[in-house]
Amino acid sequence: MNSRPLMTVRIAAAPSQKLGAVPHGIRSIIPVTGGDFEGRRLRGKVLPGGGDWLLLRSDGVLELDLRVTLETDDHTLIHMTFQGLRHGPPDVIAALGRGEVMDPASYYFRTLPRFETSTEKYAFLNRIITVGVGETRPDGAIHKIDEIL
Amino acid sequence: MNSRLLMTLQVVVPPPQKLGAVPHGTRVIAPITSGTFEGPRLRGKVLPGGGDWTLLRSDGALELDLRITLETDDGALIYITSFGLHHGPPEVLAALARGESVSPSQYYFRTALRFETSAPKYAFLNRLIAISSGDRRASGPIYTIEEIL
Repeated sequence: MNSRPLMTVRIAAAPSQKLGAVPHGIRSIIPVTGGDFEGRRLRGKVLPGGGDWLLLRSDGVLELDLRVTLETDDHTLIHMTFQGLRHGPPDVIAALGRGEVMDPASYYFRTLPRFETSTEKYAFLNRIITVGVGETRPDGAIHKIDEIL
Repeated sequence: MNSRLLMTLQVVVPPPQKLGAVPHGTRVIAPITSGTFEGPRLRGKVLPGGGDWTLLRSDGALELDLRITLETDDGALIYITSFGLHHGPPEVLAALARGESVSPSQYYFRTALRFETSAPKYAFLNRLIAISSGDRRASGPIYTIEEIL
């Protein structure tokens, strides 16, 4: 499958809201407080107000369900959502839980971002399938997103 | 982005149900009556009852929203959902609509897939993100599905 880099999104997050055991698993909600993104065709900042609605499933896989709004440096708003999966060896996941920085190659953190925008310049985002490789950081996450060509 | 072949999936689609203009675009529902899939780690058939709920948007992109059930040759059931985008030059899309054979390199047809199964042998599918490249044929599409590593 051919792909090319679209952008790197850095998400700054507030402490998670731990809802505990709900019918589908263990729910935590992470409010997004800001961040930035940069790629060859677009760059700008992540607006506060989005979040990632996490669900730890009974098989140990963490499901991600993110919604954020991006604002480009030329003032276009882009709605970004993704669903994703994160899992890995128990010691690695435990270290991430303690806020330690781990090599992202030591766990699986992949997402499927989708975009919406009304601006002609960025309308290509409405028409592509993309895949993200994620890295959990103590204060948020970094997502390297590739466009599937 | 590293990926590897998961399977090739061929579905059989009888004449679609054309619902016409609905609030989000033009809705066409393609029932899926059968099919086959084959890859290094799994093979079997597509059960009847699924479909692709397609929506032609105002920007000319076709959104794909597929749900099907697979049955492996050793009797496991696998539920697949797939979100995709399909677009291309107007003359290419017109030729496809007439049932003509067109090289898939002439248009964009990519999907993002998720899997669900309770069979331990195939539980790896619950834990991966996959993407596919579609090839529209008169009898129904052929998807080359790759696991994102």
